[in-house]
Amino acid sequence: MLDRIEFLLTEAITAMRRNWLMSFAAISTLAVALFLLGGLGYVLIRMNAAAEDLSGRFEMRVWLRDGVSKQQISEIAADIRAIKGVKEARWVPRDIEWKRQIELTPEVAYFDNPFPDSFKVILADISLGPEVESKIKALPRVDAVEYLRAEQQFMEQLMNFLQWLATFVGGLLIVTSGILIYNAIRMNILARWREVRIMELVGASRSTIRIPFILEGMLQGLLGGFTASLLIFAAQQAVAEQLKAVLMTAALPRFPIELALVVLGGAGVVFGGFCSFLAVREPVRRRMGV
Amino acid sequence: MSAPLTQDNIVFDKVEVKYSEYVYALRGVSLTIARGEFVFLMGQTGTGKSTLLKLLTREVKPTSGRVLLWGREIGGLPERDVPALRREMGIVPQDFALLPRKRVYENVAYAMRAIGATRREVRRRVPEILERVHIGHRADAFPHQLSGGEQQRVAIGRALINNPPLLLADEPTGNLDPAHSWEIMEILMELNRRGTTVIVATHDQMVVERMSKRVVNMQGGLVVSDVTPSDVSAEAITQHVTAGWDDEEPAHEDHPILEPEPPEEFEGPIPLDEEDLEPEVPPHA
Repeated sequence: MLDRIEFLLTEAITAMRRNWLMSFAAISTLAVALFLLGGLGYVLIRMNAAAEDLSGRFEMRVWLRDGVSKQQISEIAADIRAIKGVKEARWVPRDIEWKRQIELTPEVAYFDNPFPDSFKVILADISLGPEVESKIKALPRVDAVEYLRAEQQFMEQLMNFLQWLATFVGGLLIVTSGILIYNAIRMNILARWREVRIMELVGASRSTIRIPFILEGMLQGLLGGFTASLLIFAAQQAVAEQLKAVLMTAALPRFPIELALVVLGGAGVVFGGFCSFLAVREPVRRRMGV
Repeated sequence: MSAPLTQDNIVFDKVEVKYSEYVYALRGVSLTIARGEFVFLMGQTGTGKSTLLKLLTREVKPTSGRVLLWGREIGGLPERDVPALRREMGIVPQDFALLPRKRVYENVAYAMRAIGATRREVRRRVPEILERVHIGHRADAFPHQLSGGEQQRVAIGRALINNPPLLLADEPTGNLDPAHSWEIMEILMELNRRGTTVIVATHDQMVVERMSKRVVNMQGGLVVSDVTPSDVSAEAITQHVTAGWDDEEPAHEDHPILEPEPPEEFEGPIPLDEEDLEPEVPPHA
């Protein structure tokens, strides 16, 4: 069994060495594709985490109508806290709000207090902002709701764009690398027509003839995946160093290189195997010369 | 004369191979070869002798008729069973088909590894095979360092890795001088003496005459004569062989396999190769 595996692997490696330029093209394109997909995927994961941290800072202000009693205020507080996506709701009495305004702009002290009672609402999930807003607005005795909708929308749009960019550019490169792997395998079949012919002459099984080519595609995928992992690691390290220099503190968490090697290497193996399988589905048969 | 129809025979029964509506390779060939026989398939290029070999290796399927190998119909054999079929025979192609970057030993070893032999089996059997075809002393040479005859011996050695009961050789002396041709024929005869059925497609008339074996002469996809050594002398074989190349009357009208040539105005299938479309010059002309 080991003898057999050794023979098939040797065949695959020989084929790659024989057609190294095409193999290099396939590996490097797949590496760039996985770098973009994996790298942008990592950036999105980090941004999601950052957005969750930021959601506490996206404060919502709920203004009540004039003349709301304390009993009604505590009812409204309970209603707001019951809404999904709300982390915290704090009552801000109209007098306290007015004092703060006077501290900020003392000249307004000559006027009457225009503020109604209000609530400061902190969101647990930034993406639920619009939903929370409409539910609070629907409550009786709520006059208006203010929050940083534009900022929240910007964050969402940015993440959507990055997701789109990763999917589109990465997808395009994945297709390109798939075609390159397919071509590399087809070219190797042509380059190794003598070996294929001899195998057919002596009655080698179809799997013995085809498996080395599929292994070759899987090897190319594996190398592409590993290269992409190392590229992402290097890019992350470079960004971390830059941020550290600016912020004087460790700005980014440690990059999970082991996980990246397993995930991207595995993805490369599956993808390379699939492309080479498609390539050997076309007849590899040559004239036997008899 | 043909051998009787038993399970020990190779039988072509009214086999027709048609590549397109007008292009025929074989036109209803019936032929029986007994186990242990040595048979020459003679004829010019495009007469169908290689197609007969390809039918046995299942590179080609018959359009109609049956091909039986040791009593088993192989025309309708599923593709997945073809490798197993080929392990029952040794195939020697005309161009040797050696791997230029591998030594003689490695060429045979590679073929053995491809059919699943272990390293130990390879170490044990390859020297033995190379000795059998008298090329053991050149085991470390690369193909380009060998003469044509030596290369052909390696190709024959490689064909023996499965210990086949049947050996098919397509023009094994096509690229060789008479001395080397005879060397190859001696090896084939030796294998035949040990019980291997040998079928050789050739147009090397000199070798055929000297060997004094059964000769099946083909022309235009038909068997035009079938002569065993007991029937006729070397001169008669020559007559049989060349008679078929003249587009004249067949040599033996009473021969059971002989079929009449199509008439001149025959508008049926055309020969397979372009060479056959050119005016034919008889070899003795």
